[in-house]
Amino acid sequence: MVGSKTWMNSFKYVLVFIGISIAVFPYAYMVLQSLAPWSQVDRNIIPTTFTLKSYHWLFYGSPIVRAKPWGRALLNSTVVSVSDTILMVLGAAIVGYALSKLRFRGREFIYNFILFQMFYPAIILLVPTFLIVKYMGMFDTYWGMIIPKAMSIWAIFMYTSFFQSLPQEVIDSARVDGASELRIIFRIALPMSRSITTVVALFLFMSRWEELLWDMMVVRNDTLRTLNVMIATMKGPYSVYPGPMYAASVLLTLPVLIVFLVFSKEFAKGIKLVFK
Amino acid sequence: MKRASWVEVRGWSLTSPYLIFTLIFFVLPLIWGIALLFIRWNLISPTREFVGLGNFIEAIRSVRVHAAFINTYKIMGIFIPTVLVASLSIALLIHSIPRFKGIIAVCFFLPYLVSGVASSLVVKGILAYNSPLSPLFRALFHDIPDWFGNPFLAVMVICLMITWKLSGYYALIFLSGLSSIPKTLYEAADLDGAGYWTKLFKVTIPMLYPAFYTVLILAVGLTFGIFTEPYMLTGGGPELATQTWYLEIYYQAFSAGRAGYASTVAFINAVVTFFSIIVVRKIMEGWGKAHGWK
Repeated sequence: MVGSKTWMNSFKYVLVFIGISIAVFPYAYMVLQSLAPWSQVDRNIIPTTFTLKSYHWLFYGSPIVRAKPWGRALLNSTVVSVSDTILMVLGAAIVGYALSKLRFRGREFIYNFILFQMFYPAIILLVPTFLIVKYMGMFDTYWGMIIPKAMSIWAIFMYTSFFQSLPQEVIDSARVDGASELRIIFRIALPMSRSITTVVALFLFMSRWEELLWDMMVVRNDTLRTLNVMIATMKGPYSVYPGPMYAASVLLTLPVLIVFLVFSKEFAKGIKLVFK
Repeated sequence: MKRASWVEVRGWSLTSPYLIFTLIFFVLPLIWGIALLFIRWNLISPTREFVGLGNFIEAIRSVRVHAAFINTYKIMGIFIPTVLVASLSIALLIHSIPRFKGIIAVCFFLPYLVSGVASSLVVKGILAYNSPLSPLFRALFHDIPDWFGNPFLAVMVICLMITWKLSGYYALIFLSGLSSIPKTLYEAADLDGAGYWTKLFKVTIPMLYPAFYTVLILAVGLTFGIFTEPYMLTGGGPELATQTWYLEIYYQAFSAGRAGYASTVAFINAVVTFFSIIVVRKIMEGWGKAHGWK
């Protein structure tokens, strides 16, 4: 009986191993192909020798093809995603705090409107939002990518329901001590919800990082394109060089992976609270 | 009275970032979007022609819109059962093993981090005619299938890509559902002599109702918004087999420059999404009620 149980468990770990192999296969493939000599790209899974030629070509080009601003694209992705994530988390924490802890008139109405927005298909707003951005002079600027995506209804909803469980006495005693509402939010409410903030921020960061449609629409200028858009719009001479495209994909994937792994412990803790 | 107005001032000023944002990026486009439905306009020209219901009539007759409409349900028909089985299996597997649960769940979540742009490049590479996996495909199918030339295969590839991406994420939702099922239910089932599959279908799956509900709503909503994978791999082809709503909206607005018509297609997409989600919710709630959830 004990024997069959250990056998069963080893079988389960074999299944786990197969599953994880499928899950991470594209990661491995991307990295290996980006390091392969060009004659072997998409020919061998594991190249016989490794070279940094694809990365070199990406940043310096070749005598015939001038390099695109890939480093700049990586920077653009970072600037846009990081600023939007910070704005979305701060905004959601402030608004979520007000909606859960301050009984002001109109609170119910705002909360119901947020629920309405959550289920309202954002796609209808796509073209008119683009027009508004254009008329505000934000077309082809960082602002055009950052501002319209700077508020997340989902994050507000998450913080509103999470802050409800913060003990009122803590907040009241802080008020007695003369703390302002903003100070309470940043010194008490946010630090008390670290796990939830990690999950919210990671999801927001990941989805902002891989936004394609909007960033492709509002930016035409090569030097402002995010990495995701840059890869997606690569046509012409680049499409015949798959090696550098894999190198670009590695650049695109690595930052998200690193950010996620750094916070994965807190993420695992927080995710239980989110889906409980 | 003084206390009350203090709360009003704080409440409204703290929510003001949201209020201003919503006014500019929700209410204003909402109104503008309604106006756009009835005009023909190419985004640049100063003249905007009022066409009444012309955009609607054109959209309803368009084969491209028909294709997007039908394909979405086709993709759902393949993607949803596949992703449910995959994510539930992953969750059950992780739930049943004694050690390293957390790290394994995190590993299964990793595909969610890969941008559709990057995974599309990888898929393009491994499905290429001379790819390292081609001997495998040759052995399986006798020949290299024309992945993106065959309408059925093109849809399958896209469905499998999104299944790969989301299974680990949905498994997390199932996992937290699994951990909240009381052990006593299984003990009672054991006393009745129930086997593994009986317990799975009579205890586990009905008890996972809230998780199924969340996953299904997420998955249905996601299917209506598919864009990156077909944009990168097929452009909607072959013969519109992988045409989606978002591809059509993007194409009409920014390649054809037809703001009014694109908004109309978006509006129809929103209505279709809305009713589809209501139908899914009704079905799910019926299933939930039958198992004692309210």
